[in-house]
Amino acid sequence: MAAYREFKQISPNASATAKLTNWLENRFPTAFDAYKVHMSEYYAPKNFNFWYIFGSLALLVLVIQIVTGIFLVMHYKPDAAKAFESVEYIMRDVPWGWLIRYMHSTGASAFFVVVYLHMFRGLLYGSYRKPRELVWLFGCAIFLALMAEAFMGYLLPWGQMSYWGAQVIVNLFSAIPFIGPDLSIFIRGDYVVSDATLNRFFSFHVIAVPLVLLGLVVAHLLALHDVGSNNPDGIEIKGPGKPVDDKGHPLDGVPFHPYYTVHDIFGVSIFLFVFSAIVFLAPEMGGYFLEANNFIPADPLKTPSHIAPVWYFTPFYSMLRAVTSEMMVALIACVVLGAGYGVFKAKLAGLVKGVILVAGIVVIALMLSIDAKFWGVVTMGGAVIILFFLPWLDCSPARSIRYRPGWHKWLYAVFVVVFFVLGYLGMQPPSPIGERVSQVGTLFYFGFFLLMPWWSRLGEPKPVPDRVNFAAH
Amino acid sequence: MSDTPIDSSKRNWLIATSCAGAVGGVATAVPFVSSFEPSEKAKAAGAPVEVDISGIKEGEQVTVEWRGKPVWIVRRTKEEVDALAKHDGELADPESKRHPDEFTPPYARNEWRSIKPEILVVIGICPHLGCSPTQKFTPGAQPSLPSDWPGGWLCPCHGSTFDLAGRVFKNKPSPDNLPVPPHMYLSDTKLLIGDDTKKA
Amino acid sequence: MKKILLALIAGLGLVVGAQASEGGFPLDKAPVNLTDNVSLQRGARTFANYCLSCHSAAYMRYNRLTDIGLTEQQIKDNLLVTTDKVGETMKAAINPKEAKDWFGGVPPDLTVVARSRAGSGGSGADYLYTFLRTFYVDDTKATGWNNLVFPSVAMPHVLWQLQGQRKALFDEVESHGEKVQKFKGWEQITPGTQNTVEFDQTVGDLVNYLQWMGEPAQKTRVRVGVWVLMFIALFILIAWRLNASFWKNVK
Repeated sequence: MAAYREFKQISPNASATAKLTNWLENRFPTAFDAYKVHMSEYYAPKNFNFWYIFGSLALLVLVIQIVTGIFLVMHYKPDAAKAFESVEYIMRDVPWGWLIRYMHSTGASAFFVVVYLHMFRGLLYGSYRKPRELVWLFGCAIFLALMAEAFMGYLLPWGQMSYWGAQVIVNLFSAIPFIGPDLSIFIRGDYVVSDATLNRFFSFHVIAVPLVLLGLVVAHLLALHDVGSNNPDGIEIKGPGKPVDDKGHPLDGVPFHPYYTVHDIFGVSIFLFVFSAIVFLAPEMGGYFLEANNFIPADPLKTPSHIAPVWYFTPFYSMLRAVTSEMMVALIACVVLGAGYGVFKAKLAGLVKGVILVAGIVVIALMLSIDAKFWGVVTMGGAVIILFFLPWLDCSPARSIRYRPGWHKWLYAVFVVVFFVLGYLGMQPPSPIGERVSQVGTLFYFGFFLLMPWWSRLGEPKPVPDRVNFAAH
Repeated sequence: MSDTPIDSSKRNWLIATSCAGAVGGVATAVPFVSSFEPSEKAKAAGAPVEVDISGIKEGEQVTVEWRGKPVWIVRRTKEEVDALAKHDGELADPESKRHPDEFTPPYARNEWRSIKPEILVVIGICPHLGCSPTQKFTPGAQPSLPSDWPGGWLCPCHGSTFDLAGRVFKNKPSPDNLPVPPHMYLSDTKLLIGDDTKKA
Repeated sequence: MKKILLALIAGLGLVVGAQASEGGFPLDKAPVNLTDNVSLQRGARTFANYCLSCHSAAYMRYNRLTDIGLTEQQIKDNLLVTTDKVGETMKAAINPKEAKDWFGGVPPDLTVVARSRAGSGGSGADYLYTFLRTFYVDDTKATGWNNLVFPSVAMPHVLWQLQGQRKALFDEVESHGEKVQKFKGWEQITPGTQNTVEFDQTVGDLVNYLQWMGEPAQKTRVRVGVWVLMFIALFILIAWRLNASFWKNVK
């Protein structure tokens, strides 16, 4: 019997484990090669700091959500008449059901905390820049899928917030000209959010989107390993001219296993402490993780006085609400300025200038004719989509914020504050001051990104070192 | 193997982490595995059932549900009770010796397979493949029944026959007698099905 | 990192200024004490006697009351309202159709009411404690009763025999350019069988029970949680030293 290639032979005196390993390695070399490529011989920069734990934590939370989700589905009933009751059944009648439920609800919020911090790390250290643009794009796609997953998952408990939050967000689609109202009915499967909507959201939340998420996460990690990880100093540790040891391994790197496996175990244990403190001692988190209104069964005839999305959507919700007919004036002014700059000041080919002029006129015409409600939806979507373009907006000569002009740090700090303020305002009922502040915040948010090709080039970067900053532990 | 000296601190912490990790892993698994156990709702639905037997007439069979299964309560006539011993030779297990823990609790290991001779309590599910036998209390020849048929039940699925104590006849597909559920009398007229340990 | 923190604190100042205060009657603090089984049992009895006639607690099983120190026999003898099986859930005695006729709607289920009323004014228990003690006589309402916490509520003052009938006194004041009624004080019209201290105790026990009923697992949750956190703290220590033992070799 001939193998398709040479099997590695092993001494008959070898231990049973060694023989088993050899048997497996001969028949499944892919697994063994994968272990080498992605763990024991994947060299990661040795200067990772606190910001670098959030990727592993995101993967952990994904696993937690899937496992707790599997067990919840054993008892949950995706029927408008039974859903709310089935959640209380899990909380009271299923042995340890309350724990599984709290882990899932806390995990949902934890996922967004971790992912926002993970994305912020990318912003700080330029992890999205060449050659890692595709890693960033897969990541943005994961973020979109995660938002869809959370939105659909939130309908399932069928409380007042679940129902009315879904009603409001699906109604947003009706703002799209011509196809909007029919599109909303198509998404819902009914004229209002109903049992039909619940069943299809259940299918998407449990099967479709998790599969998409898993695929994207695998792509995200494989693409990362192909180009190698970035680091807080923003310098490459592999490639021509980079220092290596006598075995050819980068001097500024360490093999992921065992160095970052044990490092991640430490980081994970701290995360689990905070996570468990919330799950066991404060699962409602003051009404932010489990909203009080959601303990009232959904009532299609009674709208709660104050509908707000869950905290992780509120920054974007603020931007949606900020686009009033007054804001449209400011936005049209921005389009005029932008198109004007492109046509009169920028060094571009004549044809391109022509296109900008025409596009500008068309956009302004549309902005004048279509209702602000639609543009609010566009703004909210645009706020997420603009992230995809980041690799091409950042024109700074220095990759990491450590070597950029000092005032960049203040700009990033303001960006963070604006994001938090928008988030806070999104939770409040609308008010005149709140509206003004969110409008300013929205303009800042978009300005930060759209004007980045200009401001990222301002100022003198500091000299970038050849070797990473690392102090022996 | 390499000839680098063993780093004992690394090894000790690896052992400590593995042990703590194993304990944590098992502790985490316990709630998830336990969630498979019957819920309070299932246990409440499977709770013992109280039946008032004072209204059951002689020769009548009453059916109640317990744990999703039909339980037959039959008030047998004196003649039917006395006739039970006569056809022991035709039965596969006349003294209910087979798998007694599964089919016949101690207080039913007697000629009548019941606590009170006239009241039979059995689960109406054929031990062969789970169909519910049909009532055939009239004695004598009938289709699918022998000419000396004493009265009892006939299972329509594969033809097993049972006498008025729920005992299966010889050469029938069912290997066992009809199961007697745990039960007890809370009073002369109140029967509790599903529990035989309570202090009434 | 420091700059981000500084900017965040400055931003907070901005935001606090922008916050508008939410309306609502000021809530009293409910005397919740989930370790007091006697209080919880008294509350359970009040609930069964007064509330279950119209409200259900359809997710709460009677036999779960053993968690607060009652035996199944005590539950059977004193608390079973609409069933004779101790494993059943607490359904309401009222007929839903009659409820709609009398009150305009079916009285809501109360199993998780203490969790659903939490808000910026106080916890759900605080809301319920204040709500149940601020009913007043009002001839303009169909039931003859009104409430300070939930104006124009469809529910009558079920506990009126205990508290007695009271009138609420109002001052007319100017607020934001319009005339509003500001609550001034109480006037007792007829006495109840309980004085203020006793009635506060009765309602306190009832609210204590509602808080427990909203999440019967909460005592276990906290107890197990303490052990879990202690274990993880130990694990953090071990993981830290494990990490250090590897990284000490990296130059």
